[in-house]
Amino acid sequence: MIRVESLAKRFGAVQAVRDVTFEAADGRVTGLLGPNGAGKTTTLRMISTLVAPDAGRIEIDGIDPAREPLAARERLGLLSDARGLYARLTARENIAYYGELRGLGRDRIDAAIAAIAPQLELGPLLDRRTDGFSQGERMKVAIARALVHDPRNVVLDEPTNGLDVRSTRSLREAIRLLRESGKCVLFSSHVMQEVAALCDEIVIVAGGTVVAAGTPAAIRARAGCEDLEEAFVRLAGEPGDDR
Amino acid sequence: MKPRLAVVFLKEIRDALRDRRTALMILVASVLTGPVTLILVASFVSGLEERASTLRVRIAGAENAPALVNFLERADVEIEKAPSDYLARVKEGALDAVIVVPEDFHERWLAHEEARVELVHDDSRTESGPATRQAERLLAAFNRETAYLRLMARGVSPSLNESTKVERVNTATPRQRGAVLLFLIPMFGILAPLLGGMTVAIDSTAGERERGSLEPLLANPVPARVFAIGKWLASWASATAVVTLTMAGFLAAARLYAEKRLPSLLNFGVPELAAFLAVIVPLAAFTSALQLLISTYGRSYREAQTYVSYLATVASFVPLVVMFSGAKEQGWQLAVPVLGQLMVLQRVLRGDGLSSADALVPAAVALVLAGLAVAAVARLLRDERIVFGRA
Repeated sequence: MIRVESLAKRFGAVQAVRDVTFEAADGRVTGLLGPNGAGKTTTLRMISTLVAPDAGRIEIDGIDPAREPLAARERLGLLSDARGLYARLTARENIAYYGELRGLGRDRIDAAIAAIAPQLELGPLLDRRTDGFSQGERMKVAIARALVHDPRNVVLDEPTNGLDVRSTRSLREAIRLLRESGKCVLFSSHVMQEVAALCDEIVIVAGGTVVAAGTPAAIRARAGCEDLEEAFVRLAGEPGDDR
Repeated sequence: MKPRLAVVFLKEIRDALRDRRTALMILVASVLTGPVTLILVASFVSGLEERASTLRVRIAGAENAPALVNFLERADVEIEKAPSDYLARVKEGALDAVIVVPEDFHERWLAHEEARVELVHDDSRTESGPATRQAERLLAAFNRETAYLRLMARGVSPSLNESTKVERVNTATPRQRGAVLLFLIPMFGILAPLLGGMTVAIDSTAGERERGSLEPLLANPVPARVFAIGKWLASWASATAVVTLTMAGFLAAARLYAEKRLPSLLNFGVPELAAFLAVIVPLAAFTSALQLLISTYGRSYREAQTYVSYLATVASFVPLVVMFSGAKEQGWQLAVPVLGQLMVLQRVLRGDGLSSADALVPAAVALVLAGLAVAAVARLLRDERIVFGRA
């Protein structure tokens, strides 16, 4: 469970995040939806403890990352905005490195890889060096790396970027499996269909502020239109778009 | 469960071992640069001594100076007739020095008049120096003998002619001469860790940023200092490996080649190797940490490489400055990284004993500075501006 309250962050002259409040519950998929530059990535970076908020509170399973960053990171699996791999290591070695950094033994890492690989169709890639992987292949390895320690909370920043249709479908399947096993899944996207296809909850962010939040049905009702995309455009275009 | 520090260290080492740049650098540093330079210098130097050690003079117009020829033959000197175009040959360096005897030499010599010879040489060629000085010495000896005999013939003590007798005592032991010539070994000793630690330092910091792997890495529940220390240790290990290989290369070259040609020049054996490593490995701790710190500021591998190469330039200037300024060794220099190591390494090569300060001060300074640099790296890794590029 991830709870975020009145987050704010400024980089120099740019107020990246103004006022973001939402809650991502366990066993649900929460989508952070917004146009480019809305403050989604900065919000996720603050949740993952990589950026310190100027104001506001974060809670991850009741832990305050500002006070206990390591404990908070323990409970997160993060697919960050940057998702570089080590080109001279194989996919398996890349994933295992993160497993070891999280204190997992060899057996648990092997078991985790064996469990994740079929979901993401990683099998044939595992023992190849990641140099020369396609963008989609790299993304899959990065997602596997984020999930190797079976985290309670999964944070994915634009996870479908660069994936082809088939990979996108297998990723959606993997996210549904995570939800079924009771995890808290929070992901960001600027693609309406993506969010519509997966999310139980939608948080629409624009200009660093939450402009709407709720179930897809509630969002539609609030915007006063049947089409989610139309609702998104109307709501996201509303206040504080100063960029 | 492996300790996190070991996990970071081993990953960086594995990554580096698979890097072709590392392999190339190790090859260049250890196999080529050091030993090849050593062999070139050794053969150059031994060439110099060889030229001078066989006594040989070239004379143009030897038939005009039978007395001189007689003297030289008695002194077991090989006399060669100079070709007629000796002037041009000396100029182009084919001949080192030629004694030119004019036609009236013998007559004047017999008449006890001033008999001139010319010594033709080219001052601008250092390699002709020994042969020129040798010819000068032989002529001076001939002069002395002539004067001696003439004074004797007149019943005068020959010692009148020589109020001061100069005997040369060269205090430079052969070993010291070698150390002066082999200024190069300490210099390579200083440069080897810079070369050896560079790739890992850059790749594990600026490289991580460039690949976009730094952000997810730092999201792991591992304190930033563990990453800083692990990466530093990996780059130190790489530097140490290159230093060891370079020095072993010198040892091999000294054993196989230089010892036969010039035993006096190169006294670089296992004890010297051990002393070198004891001095350079702590220095490598510092240079690697500094490289890591500098590269952490680089947004790309290229950019970091540029910054780091400035460091190598500065470090390689130090030996040159010491060499050309003739700076006297002073205590405080021991505490200056690179300068202190250079001093101690030269003492090792000269065969001087090392005091405990020599051994400990440079190492202690290097390790303390390394610690500070690594702490600074850990700080930077927690800095948003570094992790996410310059905002």
